[in-house]
Amino acid sequence: MALNMACNANCPWTAVHAVGSFVVFTGDSPMPNLSALLASDAYLIALTRTADGQTPQNFIGTGPFQFTSFVNGQLTLTANESCWQGRPFVDEVVITGNRPVRDQWLDLSAGRADIAEVPPQEIRQAQQQHLTTVVSPPVELLALDVSDSGPLANAVLREAIAQAIDRGALSNVIFQKRGEITASLLPQSLTGYAFLFPTDRDLNKANELRGGLTPPPLRIETNGDPIMQLVAQRIALNLHEAGFNVQVTLASYTRSAELALRELPLEGGDSAAALEILLRSTGENVPVARRDPMALYRAEHDFLDLKTLVPLLDLPRAWAIGSRVRDLRLRADGTPDLAEASLESTQ
Amino acid sequence: MSLRQKLLLLFSLTVAAAVAAVAWTVLVRIRHVFEMRDQEETALFVSQFQREFQHRSQEVAAAVNRLAKSERARAMAFDLAQSGDASAYLTEAQSMAQDAQLDFLEIVSADGNVVSSAQWPARFGYAEPAVASASATPFLKREDLPDGLTALGLFAVHAVSGTQVRLIGGERLDQSFLADLPVAPGMQVGLYGDAGGVASSDPAVSAPHPSTQAAFDPSRVLGVNGNLPGAQYYQSLIDAARTTGQQVSGIVSPTNRREDSLNATAIPLKNGQSNVMAVLVVAIARSGMVEAQQRIRAIAYGVAAGGILLAVAFSLWIAARVSRPIEQLARAAEEVAGGNWDARVPPRGRDEVSVLARSFNHMTEQLVSQRDRLVQSERVAAWRELARRLAHELKNPLFPLQLTVENLMRARDLPQAEFDEVFRESTATLATEIANLKTIIGRFSDFSKMPKPELERIDARDVVERVRSLYENAASHDAKIRIAVDVAGAPMPLLADPELLHRALSNLVLNGMDAMPDGGVLTLSAYPKGETVVLRVADTGQGLNPEECERLFTPYYTTKQHGTGLGLAIVQSVVADHAGTITVESSMGGGATFIITLPRAVS
Repeated sequence: MALNMACNANCPWTAVHAVGSFVVFTGDSPMPNLSALLASDAYLIALTRTADGQTPQNFIGTGPFQFTSFVNGQLTLTANESCWQGRPFVDEVVITGNRPVRDQWLDLSAGRADIAEVPPQEIRQAQQQHLTTVVSPPVELLALDVSDSGPLANAVLREAIAQAIDRGALSNVIFQKRGEITASLLPQSLTGYAFLFPTDRDLNKANELRGGLTPPPLRIETNGDPIMQLVAQRIALNLHEAGFNVQVTLASYTRSAELALRELPLEGGDSAAALEILLRSTGENVPVARRDPMALYRAEHDFLDLKTLVPLLDLPRAWAIGSRVRDLRLRADGTPDLAEASLESTQ
Repeated sequence: MSLRQKLLLLFSLTVAAAVAAVAWTVLVRIRHVFEMRDQEETALFVSQFQREFQHRSQEVAAAVNRLAKSERARAMAFDLAQSGDASAYLTEAQSMAQDAQLDFLEIVSADGNVVSSAQWPARFGYAEPAVASASATPFLKREDLPDGLTALGLFAVHAVSGTQVRLIGGERLDQSFLADLPVAPGMQVGLYGDAGGVASSDPAVSAPHPSTQAAFDPSRVLGVNGNLPGAQYYQSLIDAARTTGQQVSGIVSPTNRREDSLNATAIPLKNGQSNVMAVLVVAIARSGMVEAQQRIRAIAYGVAAGGILLAVAFSLWIAARVSRPIEQLARAAEEVAGGNWDARVPPRGRDEVSVLARSFNHMTEQLVSQRDRLVQSERVAAWRELARRLAHELKNPLFPLQLTVENLMRARDLPQAEFDEVFRESTATLATEIANLKTIIGRFSDFSKMPKPELERIDARDVVERVRSLYENAASHDAKIRIAVDVAGAPMPLLADPELLHRALSNLVLNGMDAMPDGGVLTLSAYPKGETVVLRVADTGQGLNPEECERLFTPYYTTKQHGTGLGLAIVQSVVADHAGTITVESSMGGGATFIITLPRAVS
């Protein structure tokens, strides 16, 4: 049931049930990427009900750290002595939420924190401030979700929008050259064919595709993140040049805008799994065959040909680390592997 | 309308017209003075606004200048020149604008493209044409904003010292700007910026000229506390200012009440190219002025009304004073006309009216004197006429009496027989003449003893018929006279004494018969005429001349050789006693007609 809730109505299986210590998945088609899918963040294992059906008092977890408390916005985790991977080096991790990036950096400089967030557009700034940074490979795809209904039901208009966007300005200026320009779903490093999707802006072609039509006013919605709003405003400016009238709005609970900025995870152990996870996160239910680059390319090409999703940038994750942190590695999704990190004694 | 009323009306109208003219002049002058004061107040505010605008301009220019000369800006400009990488300064404008407390700030590179924009960060890389055309002096500019709207701002441009990098910064002309203006109580200030709404599709293109833009939208008139209330009433002024580019003033009336009206001025705000970017509306409530005007008007009306009332009262007094002697003169004249010749007017003063009064009094005194003399003379004349008539009447019988007595005295010497004969004849003559004397004396006695009429309801036809029957036989003996009767068939009731009326009519008939010694026709007629009954006695005798007609009814006047002159006087007396009139119509040789008109008896 929890698995079904995780994938909502876009599950690759038709039924799932437990038989003893086994979990049986039943589907109409093969599920070659099932294990990668189940390993993604959407399917993290948590104990939500005890054996007698009660809500557990503490979310203990089975990882290297166990939940201890959550007080005043601070989450405290302690080392799991009996972790199957072995006990982590760090005894306790305190995570402070809703802390502005600049404040995190101040905490880091003052020794009040050991790890701080560094958004991609701030990496350059952090390095200029001589913070030690750890940057992941691209782990997130920034894309423009284009509605295929309403005023943009015409695929030609959607194509015009894709042609009008200046990815270079987004990458070079807004993300301070820390975003990789892309027109494909998966990064070049993962597939090797991403260069086949052209990334250059062609305003003339955009105007040509629009064909003198004056489309009705469009809306592009973003979350409250200032950088995403800036990206949306820039895209709106680009589209103005192509004859589109676009207003930037904040995302609502139910999407109503014709355009939306999406940040899609690049997860999965291999390209096929990553593509399937990515496609499923967009609502597509397309099983991708394993180890067939041509099939991957076709699947990606066919999907992008719909022009309902316009890839913009592949973005990394970055962290600033304190001077006493040792052996901090980033995992595949760009998050720090705290279980392997250790702290040098201040003495 | 009496003289007093005419005078009163004349005086009142004259004074009222004079007061109204004075009041109107005063009110017009007051209105003019108030309007002048209003205009001066508006002009004062306009000059204050211009000073405030100038002050704001200098503040903006100084702030941008300070930024341009700052070390931070120079380092940035140097780095831009060295590296050519503008991406590092994406948020620089926001930070600098915050430090300089500017609403707008853009950093523009040497090639004219935006490096960083505080108001629209995503606008980097786009050209900013305002930089190229901007002069050293601050200017107005309509700035496109990311939300699709535009904002009017006061901008200044300064190059970063020693570089081609320029800063264009500005302050928003909005509510806070309006709130800082020196607004007096009762004054409204609004800013109309008509280039709002969706921004230009090309962000490099500035807002178009307002005169080429859409129709007036009241929701775009910004007041100190949000939208300016009643903004739609300023449409004509704002449109005129947008179209002409000149300051326009006028009176705005949101309601029909004058005290709600406003004295409004629309001041166009222009950019460096003299295009109208916005219109500042200054409206000053006229309620104070209107109320003061109304108070003054009420006072003026009160004073005018009081003045008119006083004038009317004074006019009454004057009219009475002027007209009273004239009215007294008129009343006295009426009394004189009515027969009271003793009426007098008291003379007052020495003016023309008093002269007239004295003259009137003198005239009436003269009239009375003349009347007395006339009465006296007429009385003497009447006595003389009576004496003459008496003498004449008595002389005729006395002469035979004297002859008879003398004859009788001479006859005493005659033989007895002859004496007896003479004596018989003489005594017979004496008796006859004495009888004549008695008759004459009886007539005079009858005239002096006219009885009062005993009125009763009779029919005029009966009166005529009685006279006809009495004299028809007498006339029949004299075949030369014929009596004709012409009487209306309908009853003709009279309230009269039948005997006196018969006697009067008989006198007229006898006179008529006497006037026709050679015979003729005597016509008796009676007919109704309106509310009267007319009795006519007409003969065909010699007729009367005008003098005779005029004196015919005078007592003792007669045209007959042996008449007493009392017959027609008696007829006139009877007719007068019956409230009637008698006239005569005659011409020489055409006979005479006596016409008696008596009032018809009311049924």
